[in-house]
Amino acid sequence: MAEFIMIIVSAVFINNFVVVQFLGICPFLGVSKDFKSALGMGLAVTFVMTITCLITYPLYTFVLVPLGIEFMEIIIFIFVIAAIVQMIEMALKKFSPTLYNAMGIYLPLITTNCAVLGVAELVIDTPQIAGLIGITTGAMNMGFAVLYGLFAGLGFTVAIVLMSGLREKIARLPINKHLKGFPIAMICACFIAMAFYVFALI
Amino acid sequence: MLNLLLREINVTTLGWVLGIVAVIAVVFAVLIVLVSKLCFVPVDEKAEAIQANLAGANCGGCGYAGCADFAKALAQGKAKINGCGPTPNENKSKIAEILGVPFSAEESKYAVVHCAGGEVSLDKYVYVGNEGCTAQNALLGGRKVCPQGCMGGGTCEACCPYHAVTVEHGVAYANKALCEACGLCVSKCPKGIIELIPKSSKVYVACSTTCKGKDVMNTCKVGCIGCGLCAKNCPNGAIEMVDNIPVINYSKCTGCKVCVAKCPRKCIKEI
Repeated sequence: MAEFIMIIVSAVFINNFVVVQFLGICPFLGVSKDFKSALGMGLAVTFVMTITCLITYPLYTFVLVPLGIEFMEIIIFIFVIAAIVQMIEMALKKFSPTLYNAMGIYLPLITTNCAVLGVAELVIDTPQIAGLIGITTGAMNMGFAVLYGLFAGLGFTVAIVLMSGLREKIARLPINKHLKGFPIAMICACFIAMAFYVFALI
Repeated sequence: MLNLLLREINVTTLGWVLGIVAVIAVVFAVLIVLVSKLCFVPVDEKAEAIQANLAGANCGGCGYAGCADFAKALAQGKAKINGCGPTPNENKSKIAEILGVPFSAEESKYAVVHCAGGEVSLDKYVYVGNEGCTAQNALLGGRKVCPQGCMGGGTCEACCPYHAVTVEHGVAYANKALCEACGLCVSKCPKGIIELIPKSSKVYVACSTTCKGKDVMNTCKVGCIGCGLCAKNCPNGAIEMVDNIPVINYSKCTGCKVCVAKCPRKCIKEI
């Protein structure tokens, strides 16, 4: 139970993927102009992150490590992520056209999202992830990996939704024209990042 | 050099690497093929061809969820080609060809706001609350004394995908150069004072009040008092008074601008 809470707090707040670890900045700035698409993007990323962890963690632990070819991790993870996104897209198109239309272009975009590769890399780095979620190194297992993937994705969603809310408000304010659009978005991102940094001090 | 490099390579490891990559590649290839066979969705080629000709702005002005949805509706005969504002006429005729229906070109339009009040028309009360016109309109019909006055809440500004509408001095104004006539603002305005008019028009009526002339005199500096001078003086009979407000028939209007000169309230404006 303690680990469970620690995973949530660590993945969503203390080590938030976007504003603390600076992964997945591209969709964070690109798809945060309005609330709806930000939420869609966030949920799509959460979905892909969870499934990626579900596949890459056993693949690394039970195939790559015993064979002594851990150095192939990045190539194989990219492989896996691209294939998963492809399959999810096709499955969604068939079984849930509504969700497919809602996710739209965001799903293929995730193929090249570094946050997804980042979570796959992080959950296999046993000493680091064990430190993050407060367990002993040997206690790391697949359940923790998948949970971390899920909540890291939710952390991404929280950050991008916060950002979209701020940007929607800011779009209406009388802002100096040199700051309008992207510059003010960067400043907002900075403030969000500073706010999240406080969690690390707790 | 090459010999040195070759000696460094561990053949067993290389074998495992190639083997694993090959196995994973084959597994995923088979899976993807299986999934694609399993999840095959017939593609509507007609709709795809139509979508290629649409403007692709995804503004939603047609009332559908986006260009893809509109193309599907067109292909199924549920929508009209002229429902889309931003698509240029030559593309529309191409779409008509794909659909096999006759197409009559309609002149491209743009939005005008039939109000010029804003700061020069009186307020009933000071509005503090949810931004956007719909909320304000629900409270005694908005802060303006004039029941058709633009409240300047910016709902049209917020919904415009082309950033053509801006609220200046408390009244909305549509930029002719930027407007693509998607019609979103027309449907969003709770007062219904935005209208699409042909781009070639030379004049428009910047008021839509239903108040009596005396009330307008007291409450708004630029409101129409319904004197009918424009209708009487129009050499082409293009202006008709409907509910105390001039309505311009753009098919008859030649752009002589007599009405602009005659209007005592300066609420017929040149474009």
